[in-house]
Amino acid sequence: MIEFHNVTKRYEGGYEALTNVSLQLADGDMAFITGHSGAGKSTLLKIVALIEKPTRGQALLNRINLNTVSRHRIPYIRRNIGVIFQDHQLLFDRPVFDNVALPLQIQGYRPQEVAKRTRAALDKVGLLHKEKSMPITLSGGEQQRVGIARAVVHKPMLLLADEPTGNLDPVLSREIMQIFVEFNQVGVTVLVASHDLGLIDELDKPRLTLNRGQLILNDLVDDAAETDDGW
Amino acid sequence: MAGSNVKRRGPATTNRISAYLLHHLQSLIFSLGKIYQAPATTIMTVAVIGITLSLPGGFYLFLKNIDAMSGDFRSSSQISLYLDLDLSEKRARAVEKDISGMEQVESTRFISRDQSLEEFRQNSGFGKSIDTLSSNPLPHTIIVEPIEADTFAIRNLLNALQAMPEVEIAKLDTEWLERLYTIIEIAKRSVMIITILFACAVLLIIGNTIRLDIQNRYQEIIVTKLIGATDAFIRRPFLYGGVWYGLLGGIISWLIVEIGYLAISGPLERLNLLYQSELTLITFSFHDFIILITSSTLLGLAGSWIAVARHLNQIEPS
Repeated sequence: MIEFHNVTKRYEGGYEALTNVSLQLADGDMAFITGHSGAGKSTLLKIVALIEKPTRGQALLNRINLNTVSRHRIPYIRRNIGVIFQDHQLLFDRPVFDNVALPLQIQGYRPQEVAKRTRAALDKVGLLHKEKSMPITLSGGEQQRVGIARAVVHKPMLLLADEPTGNLDPVLSREIMQIFVEFNQVGVTVLVASHDLGLIDELDKPRLTLNRGQLILNDLVDDAAETDDGW
Repeated sequence: MAGSNVKRRGPATTNRISAYLLHHLQSLIFSLGKIYQAPATTIMTVAVIGITLSLPGGFYLFLKNIDAMSGDFRSSSQISLYLDLDLSEKRARAVEKDISGMEQVESTRFISRDQSLEEFRQNSGFGKSIDTLSSNPLPHTIIVEPIEADTFAIRNLLNALQAMPEVEIAKLDTEWLERLYTIIEIAKRSVMIITILFACAVLLIIGNTIRLDIQNRYQEIIVTKLIGATDAFIRRPFLYGGVWYGLLGGIISWLIVEIGYLAISGPLERLNLLYQSELTLITFSFHDFIILITSSTLLGLAGSWIAVARHLNQIEPS
């Protein structure tokens, strides 16, 4: 699903967010990206979500070269990805239902289909009764669940989450992570950036640990593939 | 390229087309809803567009009326024939008969030397001085009314009449008419320049309004881009917004011109009565109305297109 070959990302001004990162995440896998803040977790996710392009090296998503993908292809590739942000990125001028329905409307589903799938996604995160509420009236945990519903409503192949539990208490965080695990169980590839190490330990999923832009721990590779790193 | 690798999980193609049309309709209504939600901004923008467009609209109507009036003058252009002084009245009447038989001539009127002198004596106020003259200095006169035709045909007729041996002077008083036409032509071009300038102003007004609209919805644009919206999808509501501004502005400008027309039609009718003229003020025809509304709507679309092309591409998630 995701392949990085010696990916380096240097921002304007010379700051290097990722240095020679190589990794592979297979279809149906779930992994956590950990590391201190500024280690490059967000940058890694941004490259996968086509928000940033690698400065050097090669990043592939489903064998599509993300370095060279043309501008007009980007929206169509993003439709296979669900992205969850720490700050939810909900639109506060419209109710919960409209927020969640947005990806389906963008992809041109018929209204009946939109309604059906939107309600199914809201039901999955336990917020069906809130479909008419405005996002501002919801608690932080509820807003995050609306964000998740929006990210999964169109059944993406890949789910990316950047610090999804950053602002939540431990009970809510566990709930949110459990939702991700459930999605992974039905075949969705999941990549979650988080520094909540205690919670990650409980879940027993492979870990990618970044330190100052370098991948210092990669649970996803066995010893045989390790030689690839030195190239 | 990538399409083969990324499995499409979207809806079927037939649904896509109807969904595409549906999104157009949704954008149309959504953008109208946005306008409705911010009535103060909308009213101001639309009023500015309306006032701006009402100026060329008003000038156009003014010219249309002048044109209609000058058409009246054109049809009433007469040729005065002053015959040879030596010609007898009998001979002169025979000439008149000949002329009235010509095909470009609508009608003729004969004024004898004596009639002319009598009219002159009564109207000019020089009665006493005329009495001192030993003989009548005025010739027989024939007033020729040409059939309605263009200036060129009338000129030909004039030349033909001038060429007649009995005719001393053939006079078509068109110089002032030609001056009027020239003035109208200048006015027409001025209106064209004004129209172009004001159309540019409308373009800028709408462009700027849409630009602010884009800035206000920055977050929404970022989010929709992140979940896979195409540029066209994001562009659509803004373009429809411009269309609404243009359409409403056009209607306002039409109202302004119509109200202005009503305001001056009262005094004009009184003037008509005083002059016993048959001039009637012309207002916008249905055709004019459609042209006004269509062009203002297209200006709205063009203005928003410029703003969208300039500013939407700069907004990318980061």
